[in-house]
Amino acid sequence: MMASIARTAALPLLLLLAALVPFSNNDFYVALGVSLLMYATLATAWGVFAGPTKYISLATAAFFGVGAYTVGLFYEKIPMLLLYPLAAIIGAVLAAFVGLTTLRIQGMYFTIFTFGLAELIRQFMTWYQRNVSGSVGVYILTDISARQIYWSLLVLLALTLLGSWLLSRSRWGLALLMIGEDELAARHSGVRTTAVKVIALAVTSAVIAVVGAIVAPRWTYLDPNIAFNPTLSFMRAVIALLGGMQRFWGPLAGAIPLVILFDQLNARYPTSYTLILGLLFMVIVFVLPDGILGLLPKLQRLRAPAAPAVTPAPGAGTLSEPVTPAAPARQASPGVDGTSGVVTTAPATGTTLLAVRDLRKTFGGIVAVDGLSFEIREGEVFGIIGPNGSGKTTVLNLISGVYEPDRGEIVFLGRPITGKPPEEIARLGIARTFQLVRIYPALTCLDHVIPAALFGGHARTLMEARDHAVHILEELGMGAFLHVPAGQLNFIDQKRLELARALALRPKLLLLDEWLAGLNPSEMVIGMELIESLRGRGMTIVLIEHLMQAVRRLCDRCIVMSFGQKIAEGVPEDVLRDPEVVRVYLGEADDA
Amino acid sequence: MASLLDALVTGLVYGGVYALLALGLTLQYGVARILNLAYGDFLIAAAVFATLLYQHYQLSPLVSLVLVAPISFLVHLLVYHLVFVQLERRSGSWRAMEASSILLAFGLSFVVSGAMLAIFGGKLFSYSYLLVPVHILGSVVPANRLLAFVLALVFGGIAYLLLVRTRIGTAIRAIAVDPDGAPLAGIDVRRWAGITFAFGGIICAAGGVLISMFQTFNVPMGVSFTLKALVVVIMGGVGNAVGALVAGLILGVTESFVARYVSPGLTLAAVYGLFVLAVLTMRTGILGRALR
Repeated sequence: MMASIARTAALPLLLLLAALVPFSNNDFYVALGVSLLMYATLATAWGVFAGPTKYISLATAAFFGVGAYTVGLFYEKIPMLLLYPLAAIIGAVLAAFVGLTTLRIQGMYFTIFTFGLAELIRQFMTWYQRNVSGSVGVYILTDISARQIYWSLLVLLALTLLGSWLLSRSRWGLALLMIGEDELAARHSGVRTTAVKVIALAVTSAVIAVVGAIVAPRWTYLDPNIAFNPTLSFMRAVIALLGGMQRFWGPLAGAIPLVILFDQLNARYPTSYTLILGLLFMVIVFVLPDGILGLLPKLQRLRAPAAPAVTPAPGAGTLSEPVTPAAPARQASPGVDGTSGVVTTAPATGTTLLAVRDLRKTFGGIVAVDGLSFEIREGEVFGIIGPNGSGKTTVLNLISGVYEPDRGEIVFLGRPITGKPPEEIARLGIARTFQLVRIYPALTCLDHVIPAALFGGHARTLMEARDHAVHILEELGMGAFLHVPAGQLNFIDQKRLELARALALRPKLLLLDEWLAGLNPSEMVIGMELIESLRGRGMTIVLIEHLMQAVRRLCDRCIVMSFGQKIAEGVPEDVLRDPEVVRVYLGEADDA
Repeated sequence: MASLLDALVTGLVYGGVYALLALGLTLQYGVARILNLAYGDFLIAAAVFATLLYQHYQLSPLVSLVLVAPISFLVHLLVYHLVFVQLERRSGSWRAMEASSILLAFGLSFVVSGAMLAIFGGKLFSYSYLLVPVHILGSVVPANRLLAFVLALVFGGIAYLLLVRTRIGTAIRAIAVDPDGAPLAGIDVRRWAGITFAFGGIICAAGGVLISMFQTFNVPMGVSFTLKALVVVIMGGVGNAVGALVAGLILGVTESFVARYVSPGLTLAAVYGLFVLAVLTMRTGILGRALR
C-alpha cells in the first residue's frame, strides 16, 4: 500500500522538481533539459502505440517536422497559442491518412509507409519552398525563451504520461493489447480494430507534432533538412527500447542516459555519430530486449526465489463439476448474465435465425464452398459435418465475416450481413470459437473475457464488464483461474476460455468449430454436457463436428458437406444412414 | 515528341533496374521473412565500391560486378546468422519477433550508412563509363544506361530461372509458401533462408554497381532506394518475379515523366502515389500471385 502511494506520488514530485530547473539560471541545464523532455515525450508517445500493438512507426521525424513547419510558416500570422492545436490537428490528419491507407490491412504496409514518410515530406517541403515561396528555409524570430520551451514541454510530457496512464486502465488500452496479440481474435470479440488503431496513431502523432511546434523557435532558421531529420525517428526508438517499450517509466528511464550520451557523442565524434548510434541500438536490442526496466522484475526474482508460481493444480479445473445452469445466480444478476441476451422462448419455435443462400467461395482454383443454402431456426443445435476439406470451416469463416463470399447471401435476424467485417458481426450477436484455439498466452483469463463483454456485449463500464466476465467464467467452472495467464491452462480449459469469450458477447448464435476435438474421453463427456446445458437455456448453436457420437446426441438437425456442396440435410439419425453420406465417408464399394 | 520518347526510354531503363532491386528484396522478405530496411544502404555500399575501383584502378564496373557478388553474399550470410537468427532465438511470440526484426533492420541501416557517412560524408559519387550515345527508337540513350538495363534484365531472368527450374529454387519457394511445412519435406529452412537472404544481397549489390554506372549518388540516398524497391515489391506482389518486373517498369516510367513534366523534386511523391494506389486497390499485386 505504501509502495503504491509512493509510486503514485513519485511522478508529480518528479515533474515539480523538474519545473524548478530553469530557476537555476544555468543555460546548459535548461538546454539539456529541453532535449531530455523532448525525447522523453516523443518516446512516450511512440511507445503508447507501438508498445502494445507492435505496429512499428518509423515516421516520428515526419510528424515532428510537420509541427515545426506549422510554426515556421504561420507564426507571423497566427498567435502562438493557436499554433499548437493547429500543429496537433495537421499531425493527426496526416496520421489518420497514413493509418486509413495502411492499417486496414495487416502486414508490413504500415511500417513501409512510415519508413519513407519523413523523406517524402522533406522533399515536398523543399519543392514547395523552392517553387512556391521562393526560399529553402524560413526564419523563426520569436521572443519565446528556452525557459518557456522547457516549461511547455514539461506540461506536454505530463499530459502525455497522464494520457498513457489513463489509457492503460481503460478499455482502449486493453483493445490495443489484444490487437498486438491476435488481431483476428480481437475482431471476433467485437473490437473495431481499424478504428482503434487509427485513432491511437492519430492522437500519438498529434502529440509528436506539438513537440515539433514547441521546439521550433529554438532554431532561428528552419529548413527541411533540420525539421525532417531521420535520426530523430531513430533516436526515439533507441530511447523507448532502452527504457522498455511497454513500461510506463520506460521512455523516461531511457531518455536520461541516452540524451546525455547523444550530447557528448555529437560534440566529440560528429562524423561517426550515426554509426555509433546504430551500433548502440543493435546492442540494446540484443542485450536488453525488455529495456532497463525489464531487468527490475528479474532482479526481484533473484532476491525472492521462493515466489510461488501460479500454475493450476493438475486436474483442478479439468474434471470439475459439469457445468449446470446456475439458475439462482442468473436471477441474482440478470443484467450481466451470459445468456440473458438469448431468446427465452422454447427451443425450436421455428423462426429462422440465420439463412444462408447460394453461398460460394473460391480460393484460386479451389472451390471451397459451392452453392450452399441452409436455414437455422431459433433454439436448435445445427450440425455441419463432412470429411476433411469439405468446406465446413470456410462456411463458419464466411458467416463470421473472416472471408467475403464470392456469391450468395447470409441473412441474420432478417438483416443481410454478407461482407460485413468480423467485429460488426460479433456485435450483432454471432460468436465463435476457433478450431485451433486462439488465445493470448500472456493475458489472464479475465482479460480475455472482459473485452468481449465491453466491445461486443452490452456492458457499459469496465466494472460491469468485469462482473459479467467473472460470472461467465465461474459458470463454466473456471472461477479458480480468473487471474491465471491463459498460456498456463491445459487444453480443455483453453477451450472453455474461448467459449467464455464467445458467451461474453451475449450471442444469439454460437458457432463452435470442432470444439470437442482433441479432448480425451472423460473431458468429452464434460464438453457435451456443457453444450447440452447451453441448449437447455435456449441458445442457438452451430456445431462443426467430426464425432458422430456427439452429432447424434447434440444436434437437432444437420447438413453433410462434401467438396463444398450440401449432400444431405435432416435429423442426424436419417442423415447418417443416407447411402450418399456413407459413400462420402467410407468411400465407394469395391465393385471387383 | 522527342522528349516524350526520351522520358519513356529513361523511365524504362530505371524501371528495369528497380525491378531487379525488387527481386532481391522480395526474396529476402518472402523467404527469410526479414523486412530489410538496410537494403538501399547495402546497395550504396556496392555502388561506392565500384566507383572507387574505377576511379583508382580504372577497373571496369563489369569486373566490380564479379568481385562484389561473393563479398556481398558473405556479408549478408553473416548478417543473417549473427544478427537475425540470434534475435529469433530469444524472442517469444512471432509478432514480437517481427517487431524487433524491423527495428533491428532499421538499426542496421543506420550502422551501414553511418559507417559510410563517417568515411565519405555526403559527397557525391560518379564516374563516366561508356558515355557513348546510342540511337534507339528515335531517342538518344547513353550506352551505359542501356548496358545497365540489359544486365538488370539478364540477372533478373537468371534469378527467376534458378527459382523456377531448379530443385533448390523449388525448395526456396516451398519455404516462402509454408515455412512450417517445408521441414516436413526435408528442407533445412534456416540454412536455405540464410542462403536466400544472401542471394538477395548479391542482387542488391549487382543493382548498386549497375546504378553507379549511370547515376550520380551519395550515401544518404540509400533510404530512397530501399523505399522504391519496397514499393515495387508491394505493387508486384510479394514473391512475384513477373509482377516485380511490370511494377518496376511502371515505377521507372512514372518517375521519369514526373521528373520531366512536373518537377524533379516531386519524384518521391510519385512513388508514394503509386504505393497508396497499390495498397488501396490490390492486396496481392498487379498480377496476383504467380511465382507461388
